[in-house]
Amino acid sequence: MRRRPGISGLQTAAAARDQYRSLGENVAKIRTDLMKEQLATFRNQLEEFARKHKNDIKKSPAFRAQFHSMCAKCGVDPLASNKGFWAELLGIGDFYYELGVQIVDICLATRPHNGGLLDLEELRGLLAKRRRASREPITEDDCLRAVSKLKSLGGGFEVFTVGRRKLVRSVPTELNRDHNLILELAQVHGYVTVQEVENELTWKAGRALDALENLMREGLAMVDDGHPDGKRRYWFPCVGSAATGTEAAESVLSSPN
Amino acid sequence: MEGAWTRIMHSVQLTSSGRMHLQQGEVECQLVDAVDLDCEGGAGWTLKTGLLTLTTHRLLWLDEKGKKAWAVPLGAVGQLYAVKKSIKSMFAAPRMRFQAWTQRDGKLATHGQRVTELVLTLVFRGQSGVPDGFVQRFAEVLQAKAWQQKRLEESPSGGHKGAGSSLETSVHKRPTVSTLNPAMAGVSGILRKEQEQWEETDKNLHDAFQDLNGLMSKAKEMVILAEKMRVRLLTGQASTVEEEGVGTNQEMQDWMLSVGITSPVTKESAGALYHQQLSRQLADFVREPLKRSGGMLAMVDAYCLFNRARGTELISPEDLLQACTIWQTLDVPVRLRKFDSGVMVIQSKSQSDDEVFLRLTMLVSNGEAEKLGISAAEAARALGMAPALAREQLLAAEGQGLLCRDDGVDGLRFFSNFFKDINASTIFQES
Repeated sequence: MRRRPGISGLQTAAAARDQYRSLGENVAKIRTDLMKEQLATFRNQLEEFARKHKNDIKKSPAFRAQFHSMCAKCGVDPLASNKGFWAELLGIGDFYYELGVQIVDICLATRPHNGGLLDLEELRGLLAKRRRASREPITEDDCLRAVSKLKSLGGGFEVFTVGRRKLVRSVPTELNRDHNLILELAQVHGYVTVQEVENELTWKAGRALDALENLMREGLAMVDDGHPDGKRRYWFPCVGSAATGTEAAESVLSSPN
Repeated sequence: MEGAWTRIMHSVQLTSSGRMHLQQGEVECQLVDAVDLDCEGGAGWTLKTGLLTLTTHRLLWLDEKGKKAWAVPLGAVGQLYAVKKSIKSMFAAPRMRFQAWTQRDGKLATHGQRVTELVLTLVFRGQSGVPDGFVQRFAEVLQAKAWQQKRLEESPSGGHKGAGSSLETSVHKRPTVSTLNPAMAGVSGILRKEQEQWEETDKNLHDAFQDLNGLMSKAKEMVILAEKMRVRLLTGQASTVEEEGVGTNQEMQDWMLSVGITSPVTKESAGALYHQQLSRQLADFVREPLKRSGGMLAMVDAYCLFNRARGTELISPEDLLQACTIWQTLDVPVRLRKFDSGVMVIQSKSQSDDEVFLRLTMLVSNGEAEKLGISAAEAARALGMAPALAREQLLAAEGQGLLCRDDGVDGLRFFSNFFKDINASTIFQES
């Protein structure tokens, strides 16, 4: 006997719908999980192959292209040479070149956030994430060596020390737009301090200092250590209007030293 | 005589740096310089001393000046004739003959149709023998039939897209069971089917990665599988709200940027032509990144991007530098620029100095700047480039005689150089 539609009928229908939906969600979730699992296996296998059969892969151009496209699609880094004994000892072999490419890659990827200055420690962390395949850790020395291989491409890419931190610079002065931002900022008073730049532009420590020091070396900025608050000021005679210029001169003259 | 081959050969487009456009999935296998392509028989003709490229799909011949290129699709190639060893061959340039077929319209056959037979001869000038492994490689690519795979792939793709929602991992295409199977009906049926698909994918993955040969033979399927997983995970994550896998999502998108050159020039394939070909390939490659970065690209960035696009075929910084240096001798739309500081950048010729010079001269002839001149910092702000670069440009403009300098207490400032506007012949007439 068919029951007439009523409250309870609606409720059963709703319950059934709910059940179907939750089943559907479950299936979808399981499906994604399974897929992730398979992707992980796929990746691991690819990484292993990239390492073990590197030379065989190179030999066959057609297969190489397919292998690369597999790697790219799964998000596997095909560069996975082990350091090996000779690389460690003499710095020969592909290891450091590969590492170099990976380092620049990371610098490029993070550039929008940091303007081309990256902490070496941070870099090592990102490198480790990318090189899951090889279990050997990347040391600071490895990074330095890899960077030094890039020397022949002209300057602009270097590791330098600020205080106790080591920073990697990936943008040459000629292409550095940070300087423009600072000049813009300096227009207000004719000078800026490191603190101001960091606050205004929300830059990480080091980036502002580096840019300012660079501007000083370029001959655009002048250093004023004599202000009573003890904070170093960078004056920019080139951008200040005439009024701020004289003010600057006065303040320099009236400063105690 | 002239042009007899245009009726037979397929013409090939060239890139702006004079490399031949490759088809989808086509990979270069070997390059040989100074090769004649000779056609025997009725309409005998010869293409003289060109660059011969063997790819997985075609045999390409580029003329000496690098202006015209012709192709023999490998689908047209029949038999390869053994290299004859005789007394006579010791004195003549080494040569290799092969059979080719034309289709009905007289062009070389791309596939299937075989109407008339031709015998083509490759004459390797300036070589003491047919280059190492060329014949063997030729035979290999003929056997691999890569050009056919491409066509097979194209044909079913039309019907494929609609049904793309279910992840078809069936690598061996199972005949679909159209009769209603009671075990496949209902919710549990769907689940079971799902389950089976997974098991099969697992098995396929396992099979493919047994050893290198296994992977080689299954490469095509694996590429498709990888693509499907990627698409699925990316879209899946967009719809199901936030998941812990966001990191992977981000990661995968990052990696998509670095898919690149299918057929990288290698030392093995190009031999002595390595640097020259590399240089051309690089010139083609940097066009996109250059556009994105506003016409100037630091060498280190180019090094990374180029190597990334090449996958495992890394080139060393020295090779890159050499490739860039060769640009001077080639007709390519990019150039290498060195700054006094030692920094090197790649610059496109179209976005040239002239344009910058023009803007600088405009700048110094306007309003206040006409009297006060401009400094590097001001020019940098006006042109939207880094001060160091702006100064370089100002100095270059000065070198061209467009500007002149005042190195005074205000620092180095540049003014319009009006001496160049004075015409020596009319100078006295006006006054």
